[in-house]
Amino acid sequence: MRSLNLSGFAFLFALLTDHHHALYIHFNMLGRVLAIAGNAFREAVRDRVLYNLVLFVLLLTAAAIFIGELSGGQERKIIVDFGLSAMLLFGVFIAIFVGIGLVYKEIERRTVYAIFSKPVGRGEFIVGKYLGLSLTLLVNVVLMGAGVSLALLYVSRGADPLVWTIWPAVFLIYFELVILTAVALLFSSFSSPALSALLTFFVFIIGHFSSDLKGLATSLGSTAPRFFFTVTYYLLPNFANYSFVTPAAHGHVPGVQHLAGSILYALLYVTVILAATILIFSRRNFK
Amino acid sequence: MVLGLTGFVAIARWLDTHRPKIDTEIQQESLYLTGNALRRLSLSFNGLVADWYWMRSLQYVGGKILNAPAHVQLDDLGQLDLKLLAPMLDVATTLDPEFMEPYQYAAVVLPAIDEEEAIRITKKGIAANPAQWRLHQHLGYIYWQRGDYAAAGDAYSQGAKIPGAPPWIEAMKARMAAEGGSRNFAREIYTRMYEQAGDSKIKETARLRLLQLDSMDQRDVIRKLVAIYQTRVGRCPASWREIEPLLRAARLPLVGGRPIDPAGTPYLLLTDKCDVDLDPVSEVPYK
Repeated sequence: MRSLNLSGFAFLFALLTDHHHALYIHFNMLGRVLAIAGNAFREAVRDRVLYNLVLFVLLLTAAAIFIGELSGGQERKIIVDFGLSAMLLFGVFIAIFVGIGLVYKEIERRTVYAIFSKPVGRGEFIVGKYLGLSLTLLVNVVLMGAGVSLALLYVSRGADPLVWTIWPAVFLIYFELVILTAVALLFSSFSSPALSALLTFFVFIIGHFSSDLKGLATSLGSTAPRFFFTVTYYLLPNFANYSFVTPAAHGHVPGVQHLAGSILYALLYVTVILAATILIFSRRNFK
Repeated sequence: MVLGLTGFVAIARWLDTHRPKIDTEIQQESLYLTGNALRRLSLSFNGLVADWYWMRSLQYVGGKILNAPAHVQLDDLGQLDLKLLAPMLDVATTLDPEFMEPYQYAAVVLPAIDEEEAIRITKKGIAANPAQWRLHQHLGYIYWQRGDYAAAGDAYSQGAKIPGAPPWIEAMKARMAAEGGSRNFAREIYTRMYEQAGDSKIKETARLRLLQLDSMDQRDVIRKLVAIYQTRVGRCPASWREIEPLLRAARLPLVGGRPIDPAGTPYLLLTDKCDVDLDPVSEVPYK
């Protein structure tokens, strides 16, 4: 756990100070993490996770063809709303159901013993698995974004600024999914798959109610409940920062500050959640 | 499998035809959720839910028009029981306040059903979109329709102050006080509506209203000609042929010696009343 938290700084230090041995160790560690990540990605592909793209494309094609008759000239807006919402929904299902299975399956199949009999740390295992699923989600989101752009080109019968302006919203969705995957991984490190799925889904829902939590905290008179809601507001991920689907459908693009802040928030949140996951996972007894 | 499939499709069809009709009271039951409640519950899918309510309102109106005993114009649906239209448009615009089409629909269709709700929804849109001059145009249209030319002029005046508003909106404000009730002014209003409508049904309504205005002008000319004939001959013309030279001199469009309305259908000559009327089969709206 400690080595993982310090690894980034140690790696940088080794690189700057020409500590070849330390550099070798960290390259090795990075190699192991990437190997696990690559494996997790291949496993997701083998498990036909990306097959959801077929369903997505079918839905989008049907929407692009039929929505014109139903929408009163609002095909473009509806394609963006529909495409990005489906992207989020499919991504949430992948993040939850594949995310909770990442560790659980290895324990259930007892392959975790084979992995840990090699020089692989538990932290490396968790980070590798997490990066593997994040890569799967990235591929998924990028392909879906391309699908939405193509559908827009089809309904607009040519160039459409929305084809490009939706992409910041697509990446915000990706970062929301990245946070949710980390949360799923955290829950799966100490509870059953069913409970993990339920808890992660609750976090997804409550994360979209963050503004209400804050509102509750400020409107309450007594200190204890106000403290409770304030802490809950800051502890749970604030997914409102990543909800940019509706403005994107009107051609709005998030500001650079909003985008950078949201990405930084996601990276820090994921780091903390992964650290907690590694802490729990490191203390887990597999016997 | 094929037998099973055929069987359940046949049963589904039988059930569809034998299902007791749903009571209109139940069909028209108020929406359970308000826009604000739905906004919270829809998480980040509010744009998609707004689209759903928008399409539902189009289907709702379309269904009522199809089941109406006689052909009705989109801006004259007061006789149809469209209780749910205002709540549905309200929900759509609360979920996605930048969604412009429901506001236009509220301005064109809703006044015949619930004028106050049409004004409220449009004003809500103005509050949420202070940079949209079109919403002031919609508000001006509602006031103009009910004959409140001062309020209509004020709405156009507010719209004219918004950067990017076209110069004609300023001219509309000026003309409203002087000729708010004139046909020429109505022609101007429907021409603008036709130019800007995204929804094909609203475009069609504007087109028909323009045809109606042209037809009113034509009928006024024909009435004058019939009156001239009556003064000269001492009786009403028995057929169009008798006043054909007068019609030709007035440069009215004729087919087979009979004047035709802007939709191409010949007018009816009311020989007993010395008057002219639209043929009921004509596309030009009667009222």
